[in-house]
Amino acid sequence: MVECDFPECTTFGAVMRFALELEKGASGVYDELAKEPKAAAAAETFKALSAAHKKRGELLEFTRQQKLNEMTLEPISELKRENYLIDTHAPKGADVKQAAAFASRMEATSAKFYSDSARVAKPLTAEAARVMDRLGKENLANKAKLDAL
Amino acid sequence: MALLSEVKKDYGKLQNYVNGEWIDSTSDKVIDIENPSTGGIIGKLPMSTVDETKAAIEAAHEAWWSWRETPPITRARVMFKLKELMEQHFENIARIMVQEQGKTIDEARGETRRTIENVEVASGIPSLMMGYNLEDGAAEGIDEDAVISPLGVFGCICPFNFPAMIPFWFWPYAVATGNAYIVKPSSQVPTTMNYIMKIIDQAGFPPGVINLVNGSHEVSDTLMEHPKVKGISFVGSSPIAKYIYKHSAENGKRVQAQGGAKNSLVVMPDANLDRTVANMLASYYGCAGQRCLAGSNMIAVGNIADPLMKKWVEGTKKIKMGYGLDESVNMGPVISAKAKQKVIDYVDGAEKAGAKVLLDGRKATVPGYEKGHFIGPTVVDGVTPDMKIAKEEVFGPVVSFLRMDSMDDAIEFIHKSPFGNAASVYTQSGKTARDFRYKCQCGNIGINVGIVAAMAYFPFAGYKDSFFGDLHGQGQDAIKFFTDRKVVITRWF
Repeated sequence: MVECDFPECTTFGAVMRFALELEKGASGVYDELAKEPKAAAAAETFKALSAAHKKRGELLEFTRQQKLNEMTLEPISELKRENYLIDTHAPKGADVKQAAAFASRMEATSAKFYSDSARVAKPLTAEAARVMDRLGKENLANKAKLDAL
Repeated sequence: MALLSEVKKDYGKLQNYVNGEWIDSTSDKVIDIENPSTGGIIGKLPMSTVDETKAAIEAAHEAWWSWRETPPITRARVMFKLKELMEQHFENIARIMVQEQGKTIDEARGETRRTIENVEVASGIPSLMMGYNLEDGAAEGIDEDAVISPLGVFGCICPFNFPAMIPFWFWPYAVATGNAYIVKPSSQVPTTMNYIMKIIDQAGFPPGVINLVNGSHEVSDTLMEHPKVKGISFVGSSPIAKYIYKHSAENGKRVQAQGGAKNSLVVMPDANLDRTVANMLASYYGCAGQRCLAGSNMIAVGNIADPLMKKWVEGTKKIKMGYGLDESVNMGPVISAKAKQKVIDYVDGAEKAGAKVLLDGRKATVPGYEKGHFIGPTVVDGVTPDMKIAKEEVFGPVVSFLRMDSMDDAIEFIHKSPFGNAASVYTQSGKTARDFRYKCQCGNIGINVGIVAAMAYFPFAGYKDSFFGDLHGQGQDAIKFFTDRKVVITRWF
């Protein structure tokens, strides 16, 4: 299990931190699921998704550091932390269906976070909003893939 | 949410960086470097002596000619290398800044980005410092050229509010154009620049080209008086800026001295209130109001005053105050106990003069940080143009709310101020915006923008008592400040 520390999303930096924690948590969950013997048939899918979430984390870091030209300091109140928390305790002994269902819920939560965050970020920083929008769409594609397993 | 980790708890006794070496000051005058959020001591700063400053100037002077002979493209490569190194240290730079200055991590990351942008712009020096010529410019068969040349040794004297960015408004341009340089950081926030100088040390500048001398007025006066220093850049309060300008000029220096501000943000009746309030919150409360571009007076024109004030108070209540290494915090402390008291005194004075304190941050505390210099967001209504709080620089998270009948009244009020750093208007009307930018006599004008912070490739300075000098910081102005034009007329027999 990966320990995540999800902040209250009251600043742009905290939103980015929340996103980074989501990616870290998701990657960790997929690493655990890939090791489940009963879900071995989907191990390669889970490994690929873990790698994809790591890469998304790197993209977020890069966006935060190099793609933002302006200090974004407006207080944010629209994003409630409790709406976007994911369970990073991957189920032990899960089979493919159970593992996929667990991960699918996680992807859906992330998709909602990115969709809502993109809306909030758009007037503050269009570049970050574009990235969040893209990540949310990827979450939905991942969910569809998992639901088909 | 846990706090982000501090780079170090204690940075020890800081050293000077002279001629490519780290040197202990021999001074017995040493001051504490305080973390304004915790009240804890994070390091010690020696007040370097006159002789130590002179030694740095001599080292810089010794280094500058061979650096000047280094081709601009080679100098640019060193700047590129520095940019790459600073990206690697990005997060550490930001976190040190939070520790010693008190700003939030978002603000510190933003400042770090702005700092690096100046290196990026200065990396274009081969194009930026090209001269010009004209065949047969003097007469038939006689050509005329203007070449752009560096001058020697320059120095900057820096304030506490932007420990990294402000030195970078100047030195990258000075060094990229072929000069040598001495940075004197603020004695309240020297740690960030000290850390950055360790990065600069790895970038490949020859010894003596860039130097750092810690200290106070003895260092500053030596820089201003030494015959081998060609120019001084300064950012701080207006009385000191005026002194720096006068004293440096008396000693034959070029000077660019940026002073204080009293910025008004004017909200017109047709403004988009939601977007306006969100944007202005960052202007008034960002960096706890300690920015020379921060909003200070809020002028509501016409019937927007009451709905604006209602939304403003609602928005202000959302500001979370605390230690900036907590990423969910919107606002940190002011720099010192003295600064806090000064802000409180302004609010007390306004109250006594008849203004009404709608939101009072004077007694605000942050649990766990009782020794921090926190002052909460403060909203003062019923401010009139004659009140001290409407006229003088408060440099804290305080909004002075004024009501006026027209934009022209607002502009007239702005023009009565001795300062002319920035002013903004919030409106949906292009005509109103155009009139405001045309009429307003300030160095930086915002249209629906509350912090008019010029990017590195644009010049930055104010008008009137907000700036003493002519060539601004950053961009092409910086290139001109650090160089001179040499005309060559050529005839071949």
